[in-house]
Amino acid sequence: MTDIIDKAAMALSSALLLVGIVVLGVVEILDGVPYGAAPSTNEAGEVIAQPGVDPAIRTGLVLAGLAILGLWGLYRVAVPAAGIDRRTTADATTGTR
Amino acid sequence: MAYNVSNPLDGEFDLRRAGPLAPVWIATLRVVVGWWFFHAGVTKLIESGLNFTAGPSYLQGMSGTVLGPVAVWMGTAIPGFIEAIVPLAETLIGLALIVGVLVRLASLGGAIFMAFFWVGNAEFGHGVVNGDLMGLLLFVTLLVLGAGRYYGIDAVLERLAPVENYPRLKHLFG
Repeated sequence: MTDIIDKAAMALSSALLLVGIVVLGVVEILDGVPYGAAPSTNEAGEVIAQPGVDPAIRTGLVLAGLAILGLWGLYRVAVPAAGIDRRTTADATTGTR
Repeated sequence: MAYNVSNPLDGEFDLRRAGPLAPVWIATLRVVVGWWFFHAGVTKLIESGLNFTAGPSYLQGMSGTVLGPVAVWMGTAIPGFIEAIVPLAETLIGLALIVGVLVRLASLGGAIFMAFFWVGNAEFGHGVVNGDLMGLLLFVTLLVLGAGRYYGIDAVLERLAPVENYPRLKHLFG
């Protein structure tokens, strides 16, 4: 059960980060100017084009991914992984880092 | 994590395979990140003490962002706390990383700070991957790797009796 939770948390977290940054980054490039995530302006400072994907969506996805990682960390504090504790002990006794 | 024979791309994690430079580099990275935050915090303390008034107004200006509701509430409901905690926490997070004590806890704090900077600064002219996001990811990396174990005080603290008796404390160190 915990193994499934570990894998689901890591997979979901990584997926959200990669979708927010890479996948939607590709969408933004395909959508045309502006290729960045900020509006394009002319010399007068007027906005002439908006990014294809709202930066709030992208930042939200990334932060959601990191939040899941954080929640998983809290879960691991509450339910320690026995394997990791054993490895830490073994590392300590053999002097490895 | 053992080598997964069903997935050849899932390699075994072993820092020693990266060579002797890896722990030195992680420690160097930790100190550099620590100095980055320590400098940001201590210069605020020198200039305005525990009255960093730009903090609450910065948070209030984050309305409309994904962290807007939390940021605006913090900026309006607890401005005095924000004015004090920003320079203090930046300084302490920096010091903790430099000497390598409570690195996971300090990195979590740094990551939270950087999340607000990344979203609040919104300097996305060259894309969402900017220096603020890199800073955020650096803190997460130090947290995940337990960077305090490498030439840091956490390596000693982890072996103390209270920590050995209460292994959950190890989540704060490392």
